[in-house]
Amino acid sequence: MADKFVAWTRGYREGVALAHGYGHPRLQKSGPSPVPVYISQLAELAASAKAKGVRWPALDLETRRSILDAALAKAGVRNLPPRPIGQHVAADLMAFYFRSSEANDACYQALINREVCRPIAITTRKPEPRP
Amino acid sequence: MPVHETDICIIGGGITSAMLAERLAELRPGVRIAVVEAGKSIFDAQNRGRYRQRAIDYGEHPWPGDYIEDQQADGIISMTMAVGGLALHWGGACNRFSEEDLRLKSLYGLATDWPIAWQELEHYYGEAERRLNVSGEPSPHPEDRRSQPYPQGPIPLSYNLQTLKTWAEESGIPFSPLPMARNLTPFGGRGSCCVYDTCGEVCPSGARYSPDYTFKQLIAPKKIVLHDQTLVRRLIVDETRSTVVAAQAVRQDRPEDPIEFRARTFVVASGYCWSSHLLLLSKSARFPNGLANRSGLVGRYMNGHRFIQATANIDAQTFPGQNMTHSLISRQFFRCPADKPFVRHDTRVWESSAGRDPRLRAPGGALLLGDELMADWRSRTKGSSVRLRAYVDVHPSADSRLTLDPSHTNRWGDPMPKIEHHYDAATLSREAATRAHVLGVFNSLAKASNGRIVNTNEGDYLDHPGGGCRMGADPATSVCDSYGRTHDHENLFVVGAPTTPTGGCTNGTLTFVALTLRSAQEIARR
Repeated sequence: MADKFVAWTRGYREGVALAHGYGHPRLQKSGPSPVPVYISQLAELAASAKAKGVRWPALDLETRRSILDAALAKAGVRNLPPRPIGQHVAADLMAFYFRSSEANDACYQALINREVCRPIAITTRKPEPRP
Repeated sequence: MPVHETDICIIGGGITSAMLAERLAELRPGVRIAVVEAGKSIFDAQNRGRYRQRAIDYGEHPWPGDYIEDQQADGIISMTMAVGGLALHWGGACNRFSEEDLRLKSLYGLATDWPIAWQELEHYYGEAERRLNVSGEPSPHPEDRRSQPYPQGPIPLSYNLQTLKTWAEESGIPFSPLPMARNLTPFGGRGSCCVYDTCGEVCPSGARYSPDYTFKQLIAPKKIVLHDQTLVRRLIVDETRSTVVAAQAVRQDRPEDPIEFRARTFVVASGYCWSSHLLLLSKSARFPNGLANRSGLVGRYMNGHRFIQATANIDAQTFPGQNMTHSLISRQFFRCPADKPFVRHDTRVWESSAGRDPRLRAPGGALLLGDELMADWRSRTKGSSVRLRAYVDVHPSADSRLTLDPSHTNRWGDPMPKIEHHYDAATLSREAATRAHVLGVFNSLAKASNGRIVNTNEGDYLDHPGGGCRMGADPATSVCDSYGRTHDHENLFVVGAPTTPTGGCTNGTLTFVALTLRSAQEIARR
């Protein structure tokens, strides 16, 4: 998943028109690449771990939670973003996976294939269990 | 200044323009038809799969460059201005209005009647459905009888919608699959539906009708000439008579070089916003209030329908993501007994994941990480969330208006439109009763499967808007006749959404197309 997320950052384009919506439309363009922000946020997380005397992978779950909680609060992240939006690398990585069709299938333990082109007849049946 | 001579000049390049051009080319082979559209052509169907993926992955707009930054309106519901118009990314819903929409004054003493007999409009509904290749199931209500079958059977209901149909019909209200302009098998040079499920954004297979296909099919054999990226700024009237002789325009890429289109007939097919706008902009010493505006009603009676929504939670299990752009519709409340308080609305049901999406924090505020987040999400997926909506019949007052806003201009200094919707007094007086009725319907649906309504809300804009050039028999109270011919200028027509006196209580596009096809017969006769 991390590799796919890195590929996502490589495909990011700056200054592109985003969906302008319906009802109360407005023109918005994609902002600068989030990569520099991600890099500095990752460095801050690593520094927080170092301050605890260990590297990030060695932190226990509650310490990770505490550090990430503070980092997300600092970045103004309150909810899981609808997709990666450049506020914080941790929230964006989670959004990248948990908002995906793949995660939807994992959650429901069924082959719904929400974003996958498929014959319409397949949708008329209860989704097969996910292997 | 370059001058283009043609027989019929259609201003605007959306769905009504496409249908009008196609029909005129059939009725009058060899007639010269020019279509002038301010936006650009986005004819790269081969790229739409990629655009869709980038929309999903990055939130990018899947129609690159389908807007003109300085040609925008205050109060408009979409920024799209391109060949194909808003129907480049409509959902494809193709519901008919009902006879009551055309006889509000006669039946209920409300608003106004349309100057068309239902039987005649019904014929053109059939033609519109055939051209758009609508997939649908006949309504269970005898009042909705059809003279022609749907060109395709209904879109097969997903497992989720089958489940929700069973649930909803326990209320005693019958539901049907929503009729949609979506190919089940290839048709009209477009592919069949393979449930990309992004109909309202972009359809890579072309299964959902999109006017760009029609325009391409008309351009190749030279049945029409398309002038895209060409903004018509004014219509010019003959100095001695009241006929329109020219449309003055500029190309977006050559803003300093005006162009003129001369034609025997001019048709404004620019949608609910830009049609009135062009007529108002075309004022002159002889017509100080703009064209077709002797009644003073151009830009007035802007309409649409209000919408009330709810989310229900039920015990029956669904699997969100099967076919989220399809829905169920009930026409149970299209009709209202004349001796009962007036309320009309459609009722729609969608699968939904509302309230069941992944979240970052547990109810106590603790940050969820990895498997915890998945476990929390999974724990909330038992049963189903159901999205409910009613489009409610509301009627505009005369001051429901599009006006020219001098404080907001484009690069040529033309004032841009400002739209403000207002209800008439009768609509305002029944607002609370209407809301209570609709919420009552939602609650009666929710009773089955241990259901309960968990939230409700109302839209803060009118959907599927129309009006501004309303049709009527009396030139003192309308802008055009039932064919869209303006009362003031014999060779100037307005077609589609702007001509509707009221906005109905269900999606309007099929009605806009049916009215346009009827106008085509009259325009071809000229």
